[in-house]
Amino acid sequence: MSAADGAGGRGARRSRSRAVAATALLAVPLLVALAGPMLAGEPAGRGRPFTVDGPLGTDFVGRDVLGQVLLGGRSVVGVAVAATALAYLVGVPVGLWAATTRRRWLDELLMRPLDLLLAVPALLLLILLSATAPRGPVTLVAIVALIGLPEVARISRAAALPLAHGPAMEAMRLYRESWWHRAVNHVGRGVRRVLLADAGVRFIGALYLVATASFLGIGVAPDAADWAVMVDRNRSGLALQPWAVVAPAALVVALAVGVNLVADRLLAGTADTETADTGAADTGAADTGAKVFGAHGEEGR
Amino acid sequence: MSLPRYAGHRLLLGLAQVVGVATVVFVLTEALPGDAAVVIAGDQPDPDRIAAIRSRLELDRPVGDRYLDWVADLLRGDLGVSLVSGRPVADVVVGNAGPTVLLAGATLLLLVPLALGVGMLAARREGGRLDRGLSAVVVGLYAVPEFALAILLVALFGAHLGWFPPTAVGTGGNLLAQPAVLVLPLVVLLARPVCSLSRLIRAGLIEAAGSAYVAHARRLGLPGPRLWLGHALPNALAPVVQQLARTTDWLLGGVIVVEAVFVVPGLGTALVDAVTARDVPTIQGLCVLIAVVTVVVNLAADLVAFRLAPRTQVAR
Repeated sequence: MSAADGAGGRGARRSRSRAVAATALLAVPLLVALAGPMLAGEPAGRGRPFTVDGPLGTDFVGRDVLGQVLLGGRSVVGVAVAATALAYLVGVPVGLWAATTRRRWLDELLMRPLDLLLAVPALLLLILLSATAPRGPVTLVAIVALIGLPEVARISRAAALPLAHGPAMEAMRLYRESWWHRAVNHVGRGVRRVLLADAGVRFIGALYLVATASFLGIGVAPDAADWAVMVDRNRSGLALQPWAVVAPAALVVALAVGVNLVADRLLAGTADTETADTGAADTGAADTGAKVFGAHGEEGR
Repeated sequence: MSLPRYAGHRLLLGLAQVVGVATVVFVLTEALPGDAAVVIAGDQPDPDRIAAIRSRLELDRPVGDRYLDWVADLLRGDLGVSLVSGRPVADVVVGNAGPTVLLAGATLLLLVPLALGVGMLAARREGGRLDRGLSAVVVGLYAVPEFALAILLVALFGAHLGWFPPTAVGTGGNLLAQPAVLVLPLVVLLARPVCSLSRLIRAGLIEAAGSAYVAHARRLGLPGPRLWLGHALPNALAPVVQQLARTTDWLLGGVIVVEAVFVVPGLGTALVDAVTARDVPTIQGLCVLIAVVTVVVNLAADLVAFRLAPRTQVAR
């Protein structure tokens, strides 16, 4: 905040207008995805394919495109959210366990297999897994979570490592504090900020994978009401009726760009507040956070 | 650590990764609960058909034996035979590699100068209007799914304005015969990697520009271009080389999607077709090939980055 005030009113206003733009980009597709199914109403009968009846025309099997657009965001957003949550649910305990353990072999045993997963390109792993697993949203959630898992575990381990072996931890050991207090209260709370800020980045990755997989026809029904599936299926009518493709594609792009911009602002925000807290321990945490994000940026997923 | 020693360590890690990835591919496609033969039979779970597929895949033999045989075949360069077409998988790879290699190669060729240009422009005008505009675009485009971007470009420039052909149908896989076909796919493939690389270059240059050695060079009166190109840039390049290798991961996903959107008969199309047809040997062969390429590219990049900045540790 202080930096924005110091830069004068113009800078603050510009940054605020950018925040509004980012939020709007994110809010429109999210609203359509969440409230759309309630607004869509009863599915109308199927007419002729690729006509211009109705506000957005009809799709490849003659369904109303507007209705499909309203229904189609739920699966994209839902699967991405569920997969991110699942990756955190498994990845954070694994990473914290690897960081807090004093047995080196356990650390290696937990982290090495995950490194192996990182060596396989994400989309390849997705294609490979869904080639044999039964198709459906649950499978897709599990696969995307598995792909996000190594990064989540690595980041939580990296963030927890200095906390788990620092002087504060030694002191707590000497005072015979309980494991719960040391591991959950001390380390868990210390890594909270880093993980929260990172969740946005993970969600972006999950969203990308889910949408791309659905577009390639992996793990979804061929006529599902899903933005990515709509783009794929209605491509053949692009010259006749572009809205059936352009509307869902634009919503996917808006969602991705919006999440990106908002997550970027959140990341910058956490870095600011963490350096503003001048406590010695907190500076250390901010430093770790910066390093973790730096490493993650180079990771490039 | 000396370069040969580092190279040795890194080579061992790469070998372990290749073996590990091959094992993962085998386990995922073969040893999953639920017989591969049943999966392949799909909509017609006819017992005779399942039995026939099972004997053809030799699924009645123990998993360990099959794994060893598969690895031995791989080492001899035998990728197996497609279940659908009956052709050797190696032939499928050779037949489809052309367009994929062309797309990936052209992207890499354009990527480096473009990212350098954008990154240096933004860094030279740090905090200025141009820098802020570029940064907003770069952050926004960073993770846009390729298919959505591609279809929007096709709808605008292909179908509406008619500037470029909307698909590569009719080129018969020879994309160079009609270079206009390449424009939209390359734009889509370049979008994400240019963003990530130019961001790194910008950050690296700004950090270098604030460092003591650049300040000293400036005091000595070195002219601007020499200061930037000769002193600031090389130090910003080590992470860029590594990120360039990591983008092969993206490029691979991007190529699969771009081939699907623009109907290019390349390796990505072959892979997606194999998945649709549940053609296990083709999936295995293509996946191992792609994974090996990824590991090798990363290995090379880590060695180059080590040569540029020897402090870098073994990438894990």
